[in-house]
Amino acid sequence: MESAPSSFPPAARTVSPTSRGRRTWIAVVGFFRVLRANPLTMAGFVIVVAIGVAALIMIVDPHLLTRYGPDQLTTSYNLPPSWAHPAGTDGIGLDIYSETLYALPLDLAIAFAIAGTAMIAGGGLGLVAGFWDKPGTVGGYVSIVVLRITDIFLAFPSLILALAIAVSLGRGVWQLIVAILLTWWPFYVRLVRGETLAVKHLPYVTAARAAGVTEGRIVLRHVLRNVLEPVVVYFTLDIGTVLVTLSTIGFVGLGLVYPSQAEWGSMMSYYQNAGLITAQPWTVLGPGVAIFVTVLAFSLLGDGLRDILDPRSRRVLAGTGSGSITAAQPAEPPLPAAEAPAAPEAPTAA
Amino acid sequence: MTDAVVSIEGLSIDYVVGAGRFRAVSDVSLEVERGHVVGIVGETGCGKSTLAQAIPRLLPEPPATIGGGKIFFEGRDLVQVPLWKMPAIRGTGINMIFQEPLNSLNPAFRIYDQVAEAVRIRRVRETNGGSVVRAAGSGPFDYSRRPDPSAGDAWSGKVVPGGAVQEVVHRKQVDRETGGTHGEIAEEVLSYLRLVRINDPETILNLYPHELSGGMRQRIMIAMALSEKPSLLIADEPTSALDVTIQAQVLTLMKELINEVNTSILFISHDLGVIAETADELGVMYAGKLVEFGPVAEVFASPRHPYTKLLLRAAPTRYKTDGPLLSIAGNVPNLSRPPSGCRFHPRCPIARPQCKGDPGPPLAPVEGASANHRSACFFASEVAQMA
Repeated sequence: MESAPSSFPPAARTVSPTSRGRRTWIAVVGFFRVLRANPLTMAGFVIVVAIGVAALIMIVDPHLLTRYGPDQLTTSYNLPPSWAHPAGTDGIGLDIYSETLYALPLDLAIAFAIAGTAMIAGGGLGLVAGFWDKPGTVGGYVSIVVLRITDIFLAFPSLILALAIAVSLGRGVWQLIVAILLTWWPFYVRLVRGETLAVKHLPYVTAARAAGVTEGRIVLRHVLRNVLEPVVVYFTLDIGTVLVTLSTIGFVGLGLVYPSQAEWGSMMSYYQNAGLITAQPWTVLGPGVAIFVTVLAFSLLGDGLRDILDPRSRRVLAGTGSGSITAAQPAEPPLPAAEAPAAPEAPTAA
Repeated sequence: MTDAVVSIEGLSIDYVVGAGRFRAVSDVSLEVERGHVVGIVGETGCGKSTLAQAIPRLLPEPPATIGGGKIFFEGRDLVQVPLWKMPAIRGTGINMIFQEPLNSLNPAFRIYDQVAEAVRIRRVRETNGGSVVRAAGSGPFDYSRRPDPSAGDAWSGKVVPGGAVQEVVHRKQVDRETGGTHGEIAEEVLSYLRLVRINDPETILNLYPHELSGGMRQRIMIAMALSEKPSLLIADEPTSALDVTIQAQVLTLMKELINEVNTSILFISHDLGVIAETADELGVMYAGKLVEFGPVAEVFASPRHPYTKLLLRAAPTRYKTDGPLLSIAGNVPNLSRPPSGCRFHPRCPIARPQCKGDPGPPLAPVEGASANHRSACFFASEVAQMA
């Protein structure tokens, strides 16, 4: 009754939704609270950050972390690990520790390039194929073609396919990226298509449609945002998998050429072929530990990332947000008090 | 024809499932007049929701197909409009509130983002001109009854007939898509949250849907729908998923809004009490057909179709103490093999051989009732004497 006019017009004070900066800060705080509650994820996050910082330093000024240049030969041969050479030296006097660090930015860049491109290309195809899959329409045919090509690639063991492509393309950074990428995107098509199929029939998509949102915007805003969580988690875990594949190709001798270009898999391949694995095991240990730590860190981080990305668990785990949890669940506001209890029979507010 | 917002003529909707094909809605004709609330009742599975979703063409089109008929909305037959053009009609033209308030809000976005999206859609269309822009008093919102939303006030001053924005606002403040400032949009979002009686809307803006109760979410949905100022609002059982006390609150709210907002509403429900209180006209559906249509008070007082009569008698009343609730014998027929003739004849107490013959009784005006009271029964005049 009297409540109707009082709610209109709105009070003339300016209240806006939480600003972007404040929201970012809330997200960051929530992120760290989740990390604190989950030590393994915290460990993964710390190592990933450390690896990232180290990679950046190696690009900007390698001498902050190493004493030797990328191809600098020392006069000490076949030395076991010591203070001067933390990971020992090899038969021609290369410092294994320096070489391993020089390989870090390259390995990370290749892994991110492959997983990132696969995520964007494969994920994009999966989104389109999943959303517009009505049989008999243009989208339906595109979807079928994309999925059959995906099936063909998935039917072939991806490592063997990548090796075959690497052989035919020759050795080099770009060849390596292309070889792995060609076998990598189909996984993202499958993942994103599956998620899209699940999301696109949910009531909120229909509700958005009923509100007049165009199809393109529904895909890019409403569907993509809800598909993103599992994809980002998968991407993080995938960095490790790409690194292992990359190293495998290097290890069988089809990757980069060491010592002219340092890459962990190629390093291990080189020293193993030189027969040093038994006599000077530290030569293999350096790049081996690097691969192990990096893959482990990304796996740990990926596992915990799901909790952080999901707004539901984020706020519960972290107990943060625009208000405290108790404030976030307001009681049903007392509707115009007189009408609330005996509602249906109450006379209408005319 | 009268001033109908939407007028449905002989609409049939088929579902093609596997080799089977069944008609969920067959030959339904009805009109929703401007400013009126039309209720549709019927048992589960009689085609209410299919009809509701067919009007804004929201049915997934396979498996559903429109088997025939016309849906006239603002002079256009929506059946002929290609699907890709429908988004321009949905929202500001025909909007919808769904049964599932718990899942109808996107879990990934805050309440502000979702309501603001609806507000933006309307503003963009208003800026671009077209049928959405209406003079005060002539649109679905009757501004003579209450003050205009203040943000809209500020806005309307800036729009010239050609649709260009006169006033130059500092670029940083201007919303990329609408040309309104963020402050204006936020203000308008708040005003609609207040319209649906949400306490402390400033806090609610920043919450995610999972942090709200079902009743709150349904109110947000109503706010979103109203913020687009639709000509026709279809409410598809908006209270079914809520528990009784919340239902009462949402219904009270809707009744108040119906009085405040001059939008035509098609109210789908299986709850006769809800319809009795909210609707101006009532349509009764049975097995995909509209069997009776008329002014709500008249249909309740003197139903002219045996199904309506039995349905009303089966409704639980509060102080009924004399024996068990009455029910209608039998079940709703399988729509893949509907009965011949009148679809209600196998369950009808006054059925005669004539009722079994095809075609069944047409929906025709009834003698001795008001002009727009129609019933699909050969013996409509006998219903009053029915036991």
